[in-house]
Amino acid sequence: MPDFNVRSDAVNVEQIMEQIRSRIREKRGADYTEAQIQELASVKLEKFLDPRGVRSDLLEQFRRTQPPYAPPELPNFAFEDQTLFESTRGPLRFMRKLLLPILKLFFNPNPLIQALHIQSTLNASAAEREAKRDAARYAFDQLHYEVMHNLVLETTRLGIDVKNVKMRLESLASRLEFNERRARALESVVVYKPADEGKPEGRREETRREDGRREDTRREENRRDEPRRDEPRRDDNRRQERQERRAAEQQSRPAPPPAAPAIAPAPAVLVVAAVPDVTAADAADGTPSQVGAPTDGPGQRSRRRRRRRGRRGSGSAAALMAGGQPSDATADGDGGSDDEGGAEGERDESTPDQLADAAAAPAAPPAPVAAPREPSEPEQPQADPAATPEP
Amino acid sequence: MKVAVVVQRYGQAINGGAELHARYIAEHLARHAQVEVWTTCATDYVTWRNELKSGEERVNNVPVRRFPVKHERDPLTFGRLSEKVFHRTHSVADELDWLEAEGPTCPGLVAHITKHAGEFDFCIFFSYRYYHAFHGARAAGTKAILVPTAERDPAAGLSIFAPIFRGVRALMYNSPEERAMIQGIAGNAHVPSVVVGVGSEIPANPQPQRFRQKHNIRGPFAVYVGRIDENKGCRELFSHFNAYLRDRVGKLTLVLIGTSILDIPAHPRIRHLGFLDDADKFDAIAASELLIMPSFFESLSMVALEAWALGKPVLANAKCDVLKGQCIRSNAGLYYESATEFAETLRAIEFNKWIAGTLGKNGRQYYRDNYDWPVVERKYLDMLQRLSSGTAPDGFEPLPGWMDRRKATCPPAAEVVAAAPGGPSSAPEMTVPRPMGPVSPPLPTRPQAATERSRPVAPPRSTQQAAGRRPQGRSRRSGQGAGAGR
Repeated sequence: MPDFNVRSDAVNVEQIMEQIRSRIREKRGADYTEAQIQELASVKLEKFLDPRGVRSDLLEQFRRTQPPYAPPELPNFAFEDQTLFESTRGPLRFMRKLLLPILKLFFNPNPLIQALHIQSTLNASAAEREAKRDAARYAFDQLHYEVMHNLVLETTRLGIDVKNVKMRLESLASRLEFNERRARALESVVVYKPADEGKPEGRREETRREDGRREDTRREENRRDEPRRDEPRRDDNRRQERQERRAAEQQSRPAPPPAAPAIAPAPAVLVVAAVPDVTAADAADGTPSQVGAPTDGPGQRSRRRRRRRGRRGSGSAAALMAGGQPSDATADGDGGSDDEGGAEGERDESTPDQLADAAAAPAAPPAPVAAPREPSEPEQPQADPAATPEP
Repeated sequence: MKVAVVVQRYGQAINGGAELHARYIAEHLARHAQVEVWTTCATDYVTWRNELKSGEERVNNVPVRRFPVKHERDPLTFGRLSEKVFHRTHSVADELDWLEAEGPTCPGLVAHITKHAGEFDFCIFFSYRYYHAFHGARAAGTKAILVPTAERDPAAGLSIFAPIFRGVRALMYNSPEERAMIQGIAGNAHVPSVVVGVGSEIPANPQPQRFRQKHNIRGPFAVYVGRIDENKGCRELFSHFNAYLRDRVGKLTLVLIGTSILDIPAHPRIRHLGFLDDADKFDAIAASELLIMPSFFESLSMVALEAWALGKPVLANAKCDVLKGQCIRSNAGLYYESATEFAETLRAIEFNKWIAGTLGKNGRQYYRDNYDWPVVERKYLDMLQRLSSGTAPDGFEPLPGWMDRRKATCPPAAEVVAAAPGGPSSAPEMTVPRPMGPVSPPLPTRPQAATERSRPVAPPRSTQQAAGRRPQGRSRRSGQGAGAGR
């Protein structure tokens, strides 16, 4: 119920009633007076009479079926004072005129003549009136037909409009209901989550880990769905990965010295964090360990995840992962600690000595660590042969 | 001062509007003057059957003298004559026959008035349309004061009543609309008159919760109090309320209080509680959101005044000029002319609490300014004083002779009333300053008590006590002129 505009202690009842009545008028639509209705009706009629307002050829068909009006041929009722004595023969006419006084001795024909004359005049005027009336009726019939025709059209249009509006209303109502249900469901789902500020450091750490795990799980689930969604793209990626691996193997055969990093090496801590399982010896000569876990970088992690997915999931993915590298099949036999996923878990497994050695070592495998990638870029498999064997 | 109150029925168990009005006036005037009530033995206003003993008795310490009704009403004769005088050209004799058929035909009462009116200063007649008022006023002559309690019904247009309206000493109207109508019909603007109305016995502490518990009523509700009759607009009320229920927006229940002679629609949100006593009635009004008055014809709705006294808004039928005028003048009620307006106004009051509250507040103030007992008493006493100090007019015009009475020259009464000025009066009612304390009676003394006239009259002790019992705080507002708060 909308509120009223009168906001005062001193209410005016007549003002409130006026507002209520205006609201009723708004609800009911235009509240026409009799004069307004007449005016509207006349306007509509004028519109109908406009030939451009006619919307179809029904009227023409009607006109074709109706013959043009022709007034009927009526007999001549003319009666003048000499009509009684008229004759085509001249002598006879003369004799009648001569003997008229004698005739008038027997009776007076003048009233008869006058009456018949008046009657003939009346007949003529009546015939003329009747003809005019017929013509008018004919015109009115056409007008009525026009009006009826347009009324039918308007009614049909209105009916369609009403149907459309009803359907739209139903649609809106259902959408509104759905939204309300959705809002209610969301409201019921929302749970109060306390802020992290109050938690101790250890718990915060745990929470982060849990969040990370949850996030990983979610990503894994998404990726598990990926083969179904992006199978063709994935096959291309794998094909490209295999080609890159082959190229890397060919390049590694001459055993070139470790190339200087193309970009500035990451800080030691970062490197340590990213390469937790690198032994001191491996770090000294710059080659990855045979038993080493993934060297570093998110690319490797993603690869590992893909491998895990291959183990858990579809056989085709596993076969692809093992394609060209039989050792993978054996390496895939155990899950290992890779399932922990995060770099932090791996860092925790390193001993302090290892960490110190790694820190002292020259920037070990620069490319996977430092190669920055666009976050939006799809993960491309890196040509890293060290990543294939897993403990 | 001795005042006689003449009314068609009288008693504590009689709750008709004019009868209750007469009893309240008699009891309140009894605090300032010697009051005696003359009435009939009838209790039923349709049959006028003698059901009470004739003779003297006391009702609330007011002496009441009853006279037997000569014959009961014959509905067929009364209906036939009503049709004739209301809708056809007729004679004065027809009108007198109609009056005789309407009743209560009580020649003993008229004879008593003729014999004893001289012993009283004034005779106050209630309800112009009955036998006792017509013949009694003529018998009382210059001592007759009339409280017409006239509605806008065809009876007001009968030609026999115009000389009564012109011949009485004074007229105590209930509303400006009633005064405008009677002055338009009878041309009696020269007769002293005042718009008074009547107060009510409003309880100090109504108990709305008690009412809800007693009748198991929950949720908001609108209340109708009165006879549930088609003539009171109840059929239209049911139709409009059903339309309101169909919209399913409002939550109000309609609670009906009163005897029903009409079929009440079966709906869980229409509750009929039957006849309730005054305490329950006031509790019900206090518990309600608003009072609905669907009546088409009212000279003054006491229930509406009671609702206003309790701070409740009123929704009235706009076809009744009096109710509409009161709503406009008081700014304490809304009115409707159609089902749509009924639903909208009902919702406006239901959903806009500030409107309901303000209307109720205005109603309370309107009641205090115009219809609280000190104001009503003051108006009566002022009028009596004014009349006793003035000279009496010539009296009533004589009735036509035997031959003239039988000439069918009187127009149909319905046409006369239709031609009378109508519509609500928006001009504020002329009010007297509200007395500070209990109304002291500067009453005109009787000629034999002229020696006491010079002495100031102290308010009687009983008056002070009665004023102390007044439930609606008289002492809260002191000496402000009427309408000062607006």
